[in-house]
Amino acid sequence: PHPPSPSEGRGRPGTALTGPPLCGAPEEGCDGRGEKHFPRDNELGRPARKCHTSGMLTPNGKEYAQKIPREELTHLILKLLQAWKEPLSHFNQHIEHHQQLPDDSLSKAKEISNMVHELKTGVEKVTEKMQSMGIISNSLNGMASSEGTGLSISNEANMMSDSDFIHCFRRDSNKVQSYLKILKCRIMPENSC
Amino acid sequence: MPVIFLGVSQSYPGKPQIIRCRSLEKETFSCWWKPGSDGGLPNNYTLFYSKDSEEKIYECPDYLTSGPNSCYFNKNHTNPWTTYIITVMATNEIGSNTSDPQHVDVTSIVQPDAPVNLSLETNTSANMSHLWAKWSPPPLADAGFNSHVYHYELRLKPEEKEEWETISVGMQTHYEMTSLQAGVKYIVQVRCMLDLGEWSEWSSERSIQVPKERLPPEKPRIMKCRSPEKETFTCWWKPALDGGLSTNHTLLYSKEGEEKVYECPDYKTAGPNSCYFDKKHTSFWTIYNITVRATNEMGSNVSDPHYVDVTYIVQPDPPVNITLELKKSIQRKPYLVLTWSPPPLADVRSGWLTLEYELRLKPEEGEEWETIFVGQQTQYKMFSLNPGKRYIIQIHCKPDHHGLWSEWSPEMYIEIPTDFRAKDMAVWIIVGVLSSLICLVMSWIMIMKGYRMMAFILPPVPGPKIKGIDTHLLETGKSEELLSALGCHGFPPTSDCEELLIEYLEVEDSEDQQLMPSHDTPSKNTKIILKETDSDSGRGSCDSPSLLPVKCRESHSLPSVLQTQDVRAKEKKGGKGIWETQCMASEQKTLPCNSESIKSCTWLAAQLPSNQAAMFAYHSTVEAFKITLNTTNVNTSPVLVGNEENRQSLYPIAETAYDDMEKISEMEYSRSDQTMVQVRQNQQNDNSPFLNPKLMDYVEVHKVRQDEEPTLLLKHKENSGKTKKCTLTGTSKEYTKVSTVVDHHILVLLPDQRTQNTPVSQEPVAETSQNPQQSQTEKNSSYSTTAPSDSRRDTSGSDYMDPSSFMPSFK
Repeated sequence: PHPPSPSEGRGRPGTALTGPPLCGAPEEGCDGRGEKHFPRDNELGRPARKCHTSGMLTPNGKEYAQKIPREELTHLILKLLQAWKEPLSHFNQHIEHHQQLPDDSLSKAKEISNMVHELKTGVEKVTEKMQSMGIISNSLNGMASSEGTGLSISNEANMMSDSDFIHCFRRDSNKVQSYLKILKCRIMPENSC
Repeated sequence: MPVIFLGVSQSYPGKPQIIRCRSLEKETFSCWWKPGSDGGLPNNYTLFYSKDSEEKIYECPDYLTSGPNSCYFNKNHTNPWTTYIITVMATNEIGSNTSDPQHVDVTSIVQPDAPVNLSLETNTSANMSHLWAKWSPPPLADAGFNSHVYHYELRLKPEEKEEWETISVGMQTHYEMTSLQAGVKYIVQVRCMLDLGEWSEWSSERSIQVPKERLPPEKPRIMKCRSPEKETFTCWWKPALDGGLSTNHTLLYSKEGEEKVYECPDYKTAGPNSCYFDKKHTSFWTIYNITVRATNEMGSNVSDPHYVDVTYIVQPDPPVNITLELKKSIQRKPYLVLTWSPPPLADVRSGWLTLEYELRLKPEEGEEWETIFVGQQTQYKMFSLNPGKRYIIQIHCKPDHHGLWSEWSPEMYIEIPTDFRAKDMAVWIIVGVLSSLICLVMSWIMIMKGYRMMAFILPPVPGPKIKGIDTHLLETGKSEELLSALGCHGFPPTSDCEELLIEYLEVEDSEDQQLMPSHDTPSKNTKIILKETDSDSGRGSCDSPSLLPVKCRESHSLPSVLQTQDVRAKEKKGGKGIWETQCMASEQKTLPCNSESIKSCTWLAAQLPSNQAAMFAYHSTVEAFKITLNTTNVNTSPVLVGNEENRQSLYPIAETAYDDMEKISEMEYSRSDQTMVQVRQNQQNDNSPFLNPKLMDYVEVHKVRQDEEPTLLLKHKENSGKTKKCTLTGTSKEYTKVSTVVDHHILVLLPDQRTQNTPVSQEPVAETSQNPQQSQTEKNSSYSTTAPSDSRRDTSGSDYMDPSSFMPSFK
């Protein structure tokens, strides 16, 4: 299975992360040609599917995302990115042993891991900047990286099957992308919003 | 009283005809007949019958029961085992007519009536439809119970079909059918028959509609779910086939991680067979499990579950407010600026939904669209459009993440104006006019100068023209006049040189005698002349032997004197090479003569030994080479060396051949560059003291500067190239006198005194020419001849040649 496209902090000031969309396989439905290209959608309902980040309370709509405070949103983004750091590296290790995968899958997976890591770093930097500029407050700083919760979450992630893993990652990357965009337009509305 | 003819003739009636006899039940029967023509009068019909072979004739018992023209035989008169012979007679006032007898066997004419009271019923139970059919036997004439036993047959078919299905029923008057199609209308008929006879006609039709099957609905199917702006979404389904019963559809969904099942909040907003989820009911990053249930009287059916995450089903509306604007760039090329707006529902401002755009265009008549991905910007500049064409442009968009492309916007048309610049056209017009002018001029030139051009391209082949020779003069034999006639006054030097050279004579030994009276025989001269030109005697046959260089000169004059001549001889250096170099050196385009003369020199030199005849009679070489020099303007003159004795004889010839004989006598030395030195080769082998005209040697004499190298000749040539004459510029040419002849083949030349002073040798030449003898004597010893050695060179600096000495080398 092809790794889904990661979320990209497109347009975020200071984070020039513009990787190419990695969504290439038609069976991912990535070209947006119709639901017949989403055969996996019918597999979505399998009851076992549960992401390790499902426990996080995240706004699941535009209004909610616009309403919650910026700090919270930023914090949420960072939390999500953090939550995926370990599972991604684990996943990479895991699929290296897969002989039947095509070569570019491995490299793509590594690429994605790197991108997520860079994105996280970028968001952290931006957050610092924003905090220094007073755009957002520092109240949630301490909660950002709690290794404890991260560990348990990661353990869960390691148990997931490959397809579930990919599905969850795809969703969470889309979440992060949307949140980042909302945040961007909230903080700097004139920037192509 | 008018008589009215009725037009009908009255006669006896026509013949009646028995058409049918029939028995309903074997106990009675009837016969019907058809009357013939009535003959214009009322007819009476009588039916007579007899039985079997009885002769008794009975009359019909009952004319009424079966209707007009019928006869009814009731039970009493009917005997099934009897054969009746029936005839009908028609009678009128005039006469009567009898039908043919009809043999009737009752048993064979039995045909009952059709059954009656056919009734149908359907009964549907347990998904099976039954058809009940009931009827009654045909009634009989005598009202009463019909106790006969009939056989029945039933047939039915669906209303639209053609083919009947016939069922033998038996003797019962009812029937039940089960294998009927639901919802089909059937038509039923029955008929009956007695044991013997024929089937009755089919009863009248009855039809019945079989009710349709009542089933629960089939499975509905969810077709698609779409979100136009990533905030709400709609699902559409395809209804199930129902059995004609009204079906109800309900949509139910549940969210990921929840157990609760909800029903569609809104069936109406999005149209029939749809469900609209508004903002409140739309959650992202959540998988919905959606199903549709169809219900009817017979039951319900549920579709397959459809899982959908709204994030991935976003399909926006097409972009709006598309504007096309034509602008002109700096180079006056038009380009198109497209601008558009995102669809109104999409919330791009908050960053929640980011759209990417793609546009496509094609020329109006084109087949294929050209698709251009634009990205997230809402305007685009297009440069590569052809003027004069009409383009169709469409734009669509899609979310930047997973999502679907919208529909294409409505077609926009734009016409690119043709940039018909006047400047362009003017340029082309000017170019066209100029080129046509040039063509005209060129063709005009061609026409005018065509002749010349042709001459240039295809130079005319020179014919054997002799210029300047007046045959008349030749005949008269006056040498002076001849000479003058042959004089080079304004003698065209250059291009005619060759032709003049033709005039040179190559005198043969054998023809010496003939040549003597050359003046008397101009013809011979001409002959000789011609001969020279014609034959390639090999004597100095560059073009014309030997005399070419002389001819080249303006004034060719044999020095009347063999006495004092300055021999201008070309110094021969290095043997043949010098000759050649000189020859080549003197080769000039404008001096063909020179070149040829040079060549002739070489040729001659080469051929000296083989020459059999000399043009001129030569004195014994022992005497001297008599060298005559011509120098006037003419640079070279042939130097005739020959006998003094024969000189006179030679002269006429020579005079004829040469120009300016008088001038020779004058001994003018001008800048003659070349003189042809005709040197009689001294044949050492030849013992004859006289007239060894075997050889004719021409020595081409170049005046050479004293201190110059033979290469000077090259210079000469260069210089002389400037003049278009056969003459070489004499600036660097010098003349040297021949002092003596040594060994019969060595020419000892005198240094030219004047050459030491000036390069130009005009005047001094004259001086020295006058005193050739003196100089000869004076400087006898100091000059070395051009010995046979190749490297010999005169220290005087003048280059002279002794062709004879070089002869061997030429070989």
